[in-house]
Amino acid sequence: MSSGGVAGSDAKGDCLVTVERAETLHVNVLTKADVLVARGIETVVRNTLAQCGSPNLAVEVQDVGSLDYVLAARTETAVRSALSVDAVAIKSRVRRLATPVDRPRRSRLYAPGNNPRLLASIDVHGADCVLLDLEDSVPLSEKLAARILVKHLLAAIPFPRDVWVRINGLDSEGEADVREILYGQPHGVCLPKAESAADVVALSKLLDEVEAAYDIDPGFTKIMPIIETARGVLRCEEIATADPRIVMMAFGAEDYTRDVGAIRSRPSLLFARSMIVAAATVAGIQASDTVFSDLDDEEGLANETALARELGFDGKGAINPRQLGPIHRAFSPSEVELVYARRVVEAAESAERAGSGAVALDGKMIDKPVLERAKRVLKYGQQLVQGGDVA
Amino acid sequence: MKNAIGREIPEVIGSRNVSPYAGAFSTLRADRKAGRHQKGAPQHENKILPSLEAAIEATGLSDGMTISFHHSFRDGDRVINQVLDACARKGLKDLRLLPTALFPVHAGIVGHIESGLVSRIEGSMNGPIGAFVSQGGRLSEPAVLRSHGGRWRAIEAGDVEIDVAFIAAPQADAYGNATGIKGKTPCGPIAFSAVDAQYAKHTVVLTSDLAPYPVYPMEIQQGWVDYVVVLDEIGDPDNIASGTLVLTKSPTRLLIAQMTTDAVVHSGYFVDGFSFQGGAGGISLAATKYLGDEMEKAGIVGSFGMGGGTKMLVELLHRGLIRAILDGQAFDLDAVRSIREDEAHVMIDPGMYANYDSRGCATYKLDAAFLGATEVDLDFNVNVNTHSDGMLLHGIGGHQDVAAGAAMTMITIPTLRGRIPVIMDSVTTVTTPGEVIDVIVTERGIAVNPKREDLKERFLAARLPVRSLEEIKEEADAMIQPVRKPVFGDEIVAAIEWRDGTMIDVVRKVEGFE
Repeated sequence: MSSGGVAGSDAKGDCLVTVERAETLHVNVLTKADVLVARGIETVVRNTLAQCGSPNLAVEVQDVGSLDYVLAARTETAVRSALSVDAVAIKSRVRRLATPVDRPRRSRLYAPGNNPRLLASIDVHGADCVLLDLEDSVPLSEKLAARILVKHLLAAIPFPRDVWVRINGLDSEGEADVREILYGQPHGVCLPKAESAADVVALSKLLDEVEAAYDIDPGFTKIMPIIETARGVLRCEEIATADPRIVMMAFGAEDYTRDVGAIRSRPSLLFARSMIVAAATVAGIQASDTVFSDLDDEEGLANETALARELGFDGKGAINPRQLGPIHRAFSPSEVELVYARRVVEAAESAERAGSGAVALDGKMIDKPVLERAKRVLKYGQQLVQGGDVA
Repeated sequence: MKNAIGREIPEVIGSRNVSPYAGAFSTLRADRKAGRHQKGAPQHENKILPSLEAAIEATGLSDGMTISFHHSFRDGDRVINQVLDACARKGLKDLRLLPTALFPVHAGIVGHIESGLVSRIEGSMNGPIGAFVSQGGRLSEPAVLRSHGGRWRAIEAGDVEIDVAFIAAPQADAYGNATGIKGKTPCGPIAFSAVDAQYAKHTVVLTSDLAPYPVYPMEIQQGWVDYVVVLDEIGDPDNIASGTLVLTKSPTRLLIAQMTTDAVVHSGYFVDGFSFQGGAGGISLAATKYLGDEMEKAGIVGSFGMGGGTKMLVELLHRGLIRAILDGQAFDLDAVRSIREDEAHVMIDPGMYANYDSRGCATYKLDAAFLGATEVDLDFNVNVNTHSDGMLLHGIGGHQDVAAGAAMTMITIPTLRGRIPVIMDSVTTVTTPGEVIDVIVTERGIAVNPKREDLKERFLAARLPVRSLEEIKEEADAMIQPVRKPVFGDEIVAAIEWRDGTMIDVVRKVEGFE
């Protein structure tokens, strides 16, 4: 057991918390800002220490404009790297409603899980699905700090739409991630490098256990497997149908191209993309395309998003809020599509009233899949309008 | 007494009688102003003096007098410090400074206040000087802050008299004609000093580039100038852009810029002939860029963009998206170059820009303006002068003039700066009253002043995220512990003039914190 601990940084929006073993609990706030905030900082730090069991520590806080949840997270991290304290429950957390299976998820916006500055207003950009990342964007040495920060953020901020967490693989820190972040009750968990039904089932079982322990409705937490290996692509169908928690399956092209030794291009990704879309369709879930990583190439993003839509994807990943506009536009039903869908549904309704089994529109027969598709488009369009976000 | 927005204003501040603020356009004047000082010049007078000390002697500058400066070199200015050092060497005391603005480079003024050289300041208060003056008891009379237009008006009206105007001129001739856009170190327009030059008892042009007669454009005219002094250095143009003009990468600020642009596009003002002004902050610059793209998309050509000139604004001119730039000051060197090269990049002085007592301000021709703030409050009042701890922080700049003038004034702000909230129940200091603010854009939504129901309807029809300021404030406040508030004493450290010369607020000395 070490005698001290440090957490956070002196970057903008963060704070640096240092703890040392001491005879009594003592808090010292150093802040560049001013006299206006020191007292509030001490309140947050003391509340967090009380939740950690009020250990006898000398705590020093250097604040660089951190929000309360950042302060609480850094304090908890510092305490836990000094003493062996278990994951700490959060007393008052934001209560969420479970995310509907068919909610529009045109975008999944990644945010690095240990960067307070980038997380600070991640809830306001209008992403259908915010994805707080504990995996690739977090260095090994920051895994604990990141999962504690994400926990506190989830507990404090009421997101207008979905908020998910990409955990690490269950073979590494994934289980610890789940046990931590479920205190913040995310809508769902993304499982990276899913390669088999067993991977998904293992995660689902862990969620069963943790949900029960943390007073979360059973099955609340949804799963999004990310397919990013050759094996995962070949087993898409078994993965997509492995568990009722799954609402969406996503593609990760960077790892996939590395895995198969391909160079990223339309042809080299086509097989994997189509496998994912087909498997998602069979499972009755949504499919989300990989991220486009060149932030400055707006045309490239537009082209790739159009392709994803053509292939049948429901959404696409984004690495920056700037990418949301083009992605949302591409995946929102167009006015033409909405009008057509409305006419299909109306034709079906009047056929039903007339007691006719066959539905025709503009001289063409409308079969069941077309009608179902039309109903989906209409519902989707409605949800987007209600969400206040129509591109 | 309480003024029209409920702020407690004394009847007398220092040696002046105060008229309380009565409304943004309530003052009506039709009287005759003080005239200029009369002085003829012999036909072949040599105006060149060898040094600042010689200029001090020749102008008769002495204890208790008022000297003035412009701020066109911004943080690169080398003139104010040199002049004050020369005054110190001459053993002067109790001077009153009347700069158009001060910057961090002028922090040395603190020492001159302590030594007694400077005892009054009427002009902007930046960081170190503001913090020092805020302690109280440092100046013989409270500082006076005026907008760019308000300063011009006050000088013309004789509210403040200048004994010696010192004018940094990147290029001048020996007879006193001067410009800011040419020479070894061009800084952009210097016509901020045109009113000083015309109304001061004495005017001294300071240049590092003495050029053959005639120097033009004649922003400062020979007929206004008594003396010319050549200095090795008057300013460093590389620092004109310091602190501003960095295109932000912050996703939050870019979002605010995008929302601001969306609001402009759906405001009803976004038609051919549209005009606008943005500041030099990160959000404004990004919004200027986005707005240009929207104009291009919509095929709209604007009538004019108003400076501070920036690279962004110049690009809009070059892309044919605006017909002209009206520009009082340059925020970067691209703007300076454009003034020299582009006929449609027109220099204007603050009198034309914003003088309340004139027969028409350029700001009154603005459709939309996006401005910053340190604080806003639930009455839409804006503070740009003090920090939430009560310390003087910034000057007014053109804030009041633009806000009062533009048909739609938008304040673009993040809801929090670190742990400090920007939306208050009541601002620490009122710089600009809520009655001239139409829209507040934050990353958490767009708040529309209740008196602009028309705008609100348009925004809602366009599905923009319109919310009440109360709701936005509540959401932001939930992320931080309450912030302590300063407790103010009776001593007044600064007076905030509305652009018509009435008193909109005062800044009192901070005694402690709640």
